[in-house]
Amino acid sequence: MATAVFSAAQPTPSQGAWRRFCRHRLALAGALVIMVLVLGAAFGPYLLPFDDTYIDILKRFAPPLSGAHILGTDELGRDVLARLMMGARVSLSIGFVAMVIATVVGIVVGAFAGFYGGVVGAVLMRLVDAVLCFPTIFLLLALAALTEPGFVTTTVLIAATAWMWVARVVEAQVRSLREREFAVAALAFGSSNLRIMFRELVPNAIAPIVVAATLNVAKAILLESYLSYLGYGVQPPAASLGNMLNNAQIYLTSAPWLAIAPGIVITLAVTSFNFLGDGLRDALDPRMNIP
Amino acid sequence: MADDTGKFGVGAGHLGIPNRRQFFQLGAGAAAGWTLSGNAFAQTERPTNPPDKPRGQVIAALSQEPTVFHPLMPGIEVDQGIWWQVFSPLWFIEPDGKFVPDLAREVPTIENGGLSADGLTWKIKLRSDVKWHDGTPFTAEDVKFSIELINNPDFRARSRVGHSLVKDIKIVAPDEIHWRMEAPYSPYMSILASLTFIVPKHILEKVSDPNSSPFHNAPVGTGPFSWGERVPGDHIQLNAYAGYHGKGPYLERVVFKYIPSLTVLYTQFRTGQVDYTGLQGILPNFVQEAKTLKGRKIFVSSTSSVEHIAPNLEFGPFADRAVREALYLGINKQAIIDALNYGLPTQTESFVPQQAWSFQQGLPQHKYDPAKANALLDAAGWVRGSGGVREKGGVKLEFTNSTTSGNAVREQTQQLLIQDWRAIGASMRVNNMPAAVIWGDFWQQSKFNSVIVGVNFMLGSDPDVTPRFGSGATPAKGGRGYNTYQYQSAEADRLLSEGAKQFDLAQRKVTYGELQKLIRNDLAILPLFQGFIAEGIKEGLQGFRPNINMSINSWNMREWYWA
Amino acid sequence: MARYVVNRLAQAIMLLVIVSAIGFALLHLAPGGPLSQFAASGQMTQEDLDRVTRQLGLDRPLPVQYLDWFGRMLKGDWGKSYRDGEAVLSVISSHLGATLELMATATITAVLLGCWIGILGALRRYSLFDSLATVGAMIALSIPTFWFGLVTIYVFSVKLGWLPAGNRHTIGDGSFLDLLHHLIAPAMVLALVETAMWGRFMRSSMLEVINQDYIRTARAKGMPEWRILTVHALRNALLPMITVAGLQFPTLLGGALVTETVFTWPGMGRLFLDSIGYRDYPVVMGILMFSAIMVLIGSLIADMLYAVVDPRIRVG
Repeated sequence: MATAVFSAAQPTPSQGAWRRFCRHRLALAGALVIMVLVLGAAFGPYLLPFDDTYIDILKRFAPPLSGAHILGTDELGRDVLARLMMGARVSLSIGFVAMVIATVVGIVVGAFAGFYGGVVGAVLMRLVDAVLCFPTIFLLLALAALTEPGFVTTTVLIAATAWMWVARVVEAQVRSLREREFAVAALAFGSSNLRIMFRELVPNAIAPIVVAATLNVAKAILLESYLSYLGYGVQPPAASLGNMLNNAQIYLTSAPWLAIAPGIVITLAVTSFNFLGDGLRDALDPRMNIP
Repeated sequence: MADDTGKFGVGAGHLGIPNRRQFFQLGAGAAAGWTLSGNAFAQTERPTNPPDKPRGQVIAALSQEPTVFHPLMPGIEVDQGIWWQVFSPLWFIEPDGKFVPDLAREVPTIENGGLSADGLTWKIKLRSDVKWHDGTPFTAEDVKFSIELINNPDFRARSRVGHSLVKDIKIVAPDEIHWRMEAPYSPYMSILASLTFIVPKHILEKVSDPNSSPFHNAPVGTGPFSWGERVPGDHIQLNAYAGYHGKGPYLERVVFKYIPSLTVLYTQFRTGQVDYTGLQGILPNFVQEAKTLKGRKIFVSSTSSVEHIAPNLEFGPFADRAVREALYLGINKQAIIDALNYGLPTQTESFVPQQAWSFQQGLPQHKYDPAKANALLDAAGWVRGSGGVREKGGVKLEFTNSTTSGNAVREQTQQLLIQDWRAIGASMRVNNMPAAVIWGDFWQQSKFNSVIVGVNFMLGSDPDVTPRFGSGATPAKGGRGYNTYQYQSAEADRLLSEGAKQFDLAQRKVTYGELQKLIRNDLAILPLFQGFIAEGIKEGLQGFRPNINMSINSWNMREWYWA
Repeated sequence: MARYVVNRLAQAIMLLVIVSAIGFALLHLAPGGPLSQFAASGQMTQEDLDRVTRQLGLDRPLPVQYLDWFGRMLKGDWGKSYRDGEAVLSVISSHLGATLELMATATITAVLLGCWIGILGALRRYSLFDSLATVGAMIALSIPTFWFGLVTIYVFSVKLGWLPAGNRHTIGDGSFLDLLHHLIAPAMVLALVETAMWGRFMRSSMLEVINQDYIRTARAKGMPEWRILTVHALRNALLPMITVAGLQFPTLLGGALVTETVFTWPGMGRLFLDSIGYRDYPVVMGILMFSAIMVLIGSLIADMLYAVVDPRIRVG
């Protein structure tokens, strides 16, 4: 089997990753939306005259566009837009940080397991299997019950339930690649194991890693909402997209905007991350970058 | 196990030797003291007559799944909803507070000779026309067996309070049973009435494990409905029992449908898939809309629980009464009642439900007055520090508040409190937990700062709150009650022991009135409002009668029928 | 091969021991307990609570409880539910049917639809269909399941009145049509995410394969396109999907859990959530072990199949 494999669709190896990425319009759109969301979450709250936790009980359930509140007010008369931006700030942070932790842990575990195989591989992959045996919700519930809910614990908990996929993907890729000629060749050239693992083998797995990582961002933001749904996660009065959605549930018929707004932002954020990942995948297809 | 009740603090040891006649006035009087709240039931249309023979079915939705069908084992309210249909007690309590005989021919009193003057000998005459669902006649043996089972050390009985005092059970005739009480214990009348269902000896004496047998999942009782089928996680079907000894049943079938989400439960009620929304009823935010639904009727009735903020009185700032008063003054109660609860509950100052005979009128009324609260804290030496949070002697006016997570209204209340209390320099943080966590050691062992909770303080229908406010009833200090507030007051203890020894209703009313004033003044709890439940039924379904004396309003489904 | 299977089985059993120990410890160390629910109502005194705790054997040291539970489990006694006193296995089996019905419907729909979309998308990369499918899949993966379920109920049950708002069947009506009617909405909600995942994986996998040089070689040799696709591309593209299938069970169970909650579907997910809520230790452990065994069987079969079809993987 040859070491370098070429894409049939984009056969010009000289094109840079950046240009290929730019061709992916959905990825660009995704990146743009993420940028807008990030900027909105970071600076938006300072532009609004309302505080996200200020309760005005007399003005509860004001519909969108009916007055000073662009997206209306919630069940306690708080400005929905302000809460949405603060919530997005919290949820995006959780999603991103959890994804990074999960990916790093997953790559390291997967690479070691795939490269060394044998006892090390078996032990590591059995650990992965063991954790995968727990339904995610069970892990979250059990772990969450042991800790105090909050931003940091929520992030770590979500990461703890998401790294195994990356590990599986990386392990499978590394295991099958290390037998191939270029790894053998690299070994023959006297490269160190670590170097081979992380410079030669793991980059070959970048496409599935990116796919898994993008799914993990989606998963992390969604898990945050499930955690809120189950009563853990970010505690009120602080907003997160998950707890906003959760609180809005019972008002779905009477004040649908409360559920629609965070639902759309979650969907938008996660979709954008997925498109971004897709674009990166095409752009970074590692087999095109092997010199 | 004889010391069950003694240690608990409401039993014989505590009551002392009561005196005879009054004791039994208490028995009847305590229950009779409940009066009906105005809005409790109001069947507007004139009921038609029930059908001659069982007809139709009712689908009752519950937001928790009934799983415990042995009525003497630990169960929650929804389980009790099933027990009421399948089993019968010796007597039960009507909405107006009267004891009404069920399996017994009459409610024992001194007048009818059912009780000895010293309150120690009970003679119960039983109906002789009652048959178990399998056709076996019901006899005094079953009553004896039931009480002995409760005291069986291998059996996971729900509670032995009262039962452990019963000695020397004698079966005089198949329809008459006598026993002796080790010590007089008046609430036993109420305990027998509210949740002591009689179980069949002929079935249960044969089982090897009293905690698990076929009976546990296909119970046989003497109630108006017999066991049909159970689809775990989905529903339970009960069928009319033709041989029922009482009034009814008029329905051919009742189906208890488990719908875990209150939103979905209401949706299904709205779309007509559900005839009756049982526990936990209709969420307050849907009530307004529900009242406009065609072909549905909504009942809002009081329950005997009191929604309050429970402070841990041993926790730093809360030990200071001035702080508790300032916090109380700082609560915008009206907003909590009118906005968050849609004006459905009534505000209260007492731990006693307003429908009870022992309720004390004219307690000081709460006022929302942040200015006064601030002045009070200033005067007490709590000065504003960094971030506007007050402190005194190094103790910051900072605390957490917890409640069952997922309870939307309580979570909203918390957020309102954060804002209200920030204005008076108190900083509150939310720390909510699921039910299985919060009501464990966290609550029992007083590990909380403050909690929002609804509690039924009454013992049956008796206002003896020794287990709630007695200084010896704090589990964290080795006590046996549920004084998790860690409230300690020599005066309260004195009133409690006095009240428990009194048997004259008027005297008791005074004593417990004093106690209510004391608790209100000490602010051992910060009362918000009296509990309520909004239930919906389909129009045409007759016989629904909310009963504040029962833990579930579907207690009398035997009397329900379709017009 | 036989040695490989024996080896994997031994590993699987070790794994079960680890899973059970971790699960048992997590569950019992978590605050709260099966009696907490009774503590709030005030119908049981502290003394009653202590007595029942003793009767349930929950006052014993954790390792003792674990060994006791484990010993019984080896003998086939998975314990009894604290809630209804039924044997754990019968509790599980009474909820399993509903979940399998939901999962099977959703999975079959998802696999067929997902693979079809994925393959077509890969073959017609960047076509309108591919773009729509990609966008659709992304959105499907991004919608919180419980939210989507609620919106589905709101639209199809409340507003349009086409579908029931939940439940598995109308009480008193056991017909197949009635079951189907109730199955549509929850299966659709559960299948949405599954379809998107299968579609995405299938598309990636197919793209990998059709860009491989042996396909190019085959093309260069002038082999007919359909032959290339069926003989070479599809066969190789489906390989990684075996792993996906093997790993899908816990994800599916998680999805089912949420879907069942929203649609009040009386299945395992609902049971699991309730049992966790009530701290019904024997049932929670039972479900955990049951799903662990399912997952292990799934991954074992997947690995074996993978080894059979991909000669590059050396077995042993």
